[in-house]
Amino acid sequence: MQSKVLTHTMILALVAALSLVGCKKKPFQPAGPTGPGPGTTTTPPPITTSDIGPVVTISGAGTRPDITSADLDKHQFMPVYFDYDSAKIKPGEMPKIKTVAEALKGNSKKLIIEGHCDERGTAEYNRALGERRAQAALAELGRLGIDASRLSTISFGKDRPVDATHDDTAWSRNRRCEFVTLDK
Amino acid sequence: MCLLAVSAANAQVTVVKGFQKRLVAVNGFTGGATLTEVVRNDVRLSGYLGLSKDPAAAEFVQQGNVRSDGSVECFVTHVVTKKVFMSKAYPGSLNTRRLAHAISDDIVKAITGQRGVAQTRIAFILKRGRDKELAVMDYDGANPRQFSNDRLCAHPRWAPDGTRIVYTSYWQVFPDVLEVNLLTGHRRVIARFPGLNSGAEYSPDGLRMALTWSKDGNPELYTIGVDGSGLRRLTNTRGAESSPAWSPDGRQIAFVSDERGSPQVYVIGRDGGEPGRLTVSPSYNTEPSWSRPPAGSEMRPMIAVTSRVGGKFQIGIVETMATGQGVRPVVADEADNEDPSWSPNGRMLVFAKTRNWRSRLYLLDVVTGEQLELPAFGEGASEPAWGP
Repeated sequence: MQSKVLTHTMILALVAALSLVGCKKKPFQPAGPTGPGPGTTTTPPPITTSDIGPVVTISGAGTRPDITSADLDKHQFMPVYFDYDSAKIKPGEMPKIKTVAEALKGNSKKLIIEGHCDERGTAEYNRALGERRAQAALAELGRLGIDASRLSTISFGKDRPVDATHDDTAWSRNRRCEFVTLDK
Repeated sequence: MCLLAVSAANAQVTVVKGFQKRLVAVNGFTGGATLTEVVRNDVRLSGYLGLSKDPAAAEFVQQGNVRSDGSVECFVTHVVTKKVFMSKAYPGSLNTRRLAHAISDDIVKAITGQRGVAQTRIAFILKRGRDKELAVMDYDGANPRQFSNDRLCAHPRWAPDGTRIVYTSYWQVFPDVLEVNLLTGHRRVIARFPGLNSGAEYSPDGLRMALTWSKDGNPELYTIGVDGSGLRRLTNTRGAESSPAWSPDGRQIAFVSDERGSPQVYVIGRDGGEPGRLTVSPSYNTEPSWSRPPAGSEMRPMIAVTSRVGGKFQIGIVETMATGQGVRPVVADEADNEDPSWSPNGRMLVFAKTRNWRSRLYLLDVVTGEQLELPAFGEGASEPAWGP
């Protein structure tokens, strides 16, 4: 009888423990209200993190190189800058691309070309523009003799500015391509 | 803009920009404080109806109560004729907000014959520090839930049945198109070609997606079956194509191209062909969203866009599909207004308004021009997509 009760209690405890482990919903309190706008009385609702599936099924079309952010090694090369709403490589920027090409000739490393935009375009249009900037740099590297199989592009649109301020200087620094060599 | 005072004979009607908003005095539900609060807010956000603060100015009066067994009664009466437009009982529910939204849509239907939006949801991109994640909330900003942990996400779009969302994710550094099942949380990769995979939108029948790929050169428009079959290339230009938006009948796709200089909206057949140019001015029109009003709606299909005028983003509408049509600005103020997405009933837009570099979501009733603010989220919310 005694042991039966004990077993029962243990099962209940185990169930409670398991349900705690199984509960992935983490209440999240936003960093703070933005200051109420006109006519707003509602407080910001807390945001719950849903049960985000840890596994993503790769069933879709296409294959691209597999890398992680840990593979990225920045700051080796100077960024190439662009005019507003343009994906044209300016003659004055060409020496930077030649430097990248020379460095790549001495090894077999792969290179990722990131395309970035300033914040003055809409999100998806900027994502397309950033891709064109990266492709323009990729084409120049190809002309300089780098095999296209070593090169990949990523467009971040306006989502990864290097300068988070909002003036002409920041915008001109954010309209850029960055060159990231892969160590593997 | 011009709020016309109307004659005493029909003082119950507020005329805004020449259109009627039906004013309702929501007395609420005896014994149901939350129910009352949610229904009042739903009426305020409904577009079709207005919340009358002065009962004497109302065209309709709502009354209701919560019975001892938890069930709810709701009545709507015309003030002048005393005609009962609605008399309905609802079984009790543990989910008070859901019950309130169902009642609110019934009130809209009873008074206007039109479909309400109170039971819909909105997906959006939630800013958290440097990261941007996919989130879903009720249309009124309640019950926000985060559905990704990918560090950088963009461009959510709903499957027509409301069970899945497709979005752009930098989960493995590169921009891929992922789909998340909202019921299971399970995610799968839709496309991971080299270069850009972005801008996906389901066709109205839910069988295909249109999206942007750069795998064959510069960013071009494609469609693909949701099962990954039947890849089809639609455009072949020297410019960049982005932001595909399906027509309500699924036969055409609006998109953005900068082939002739600044970005403008074009329309192409679902199988490709020669695109027709939809917008000419202002010099920058992007982010088309094509409305799909249901059968029997008083609304017609329209395309909303984000224009740039004087360095500021504003929301505009193209009302007819003839090429070269003007874009009529509907949200043009001192803020940046972007990312319009239509409500399922085709009467309202949700969009992101940015002031001082912080974005929050607003609703727009496109008939009256009224802007309605949604609750703010800590660091910002953008790229809303109105779901079914």
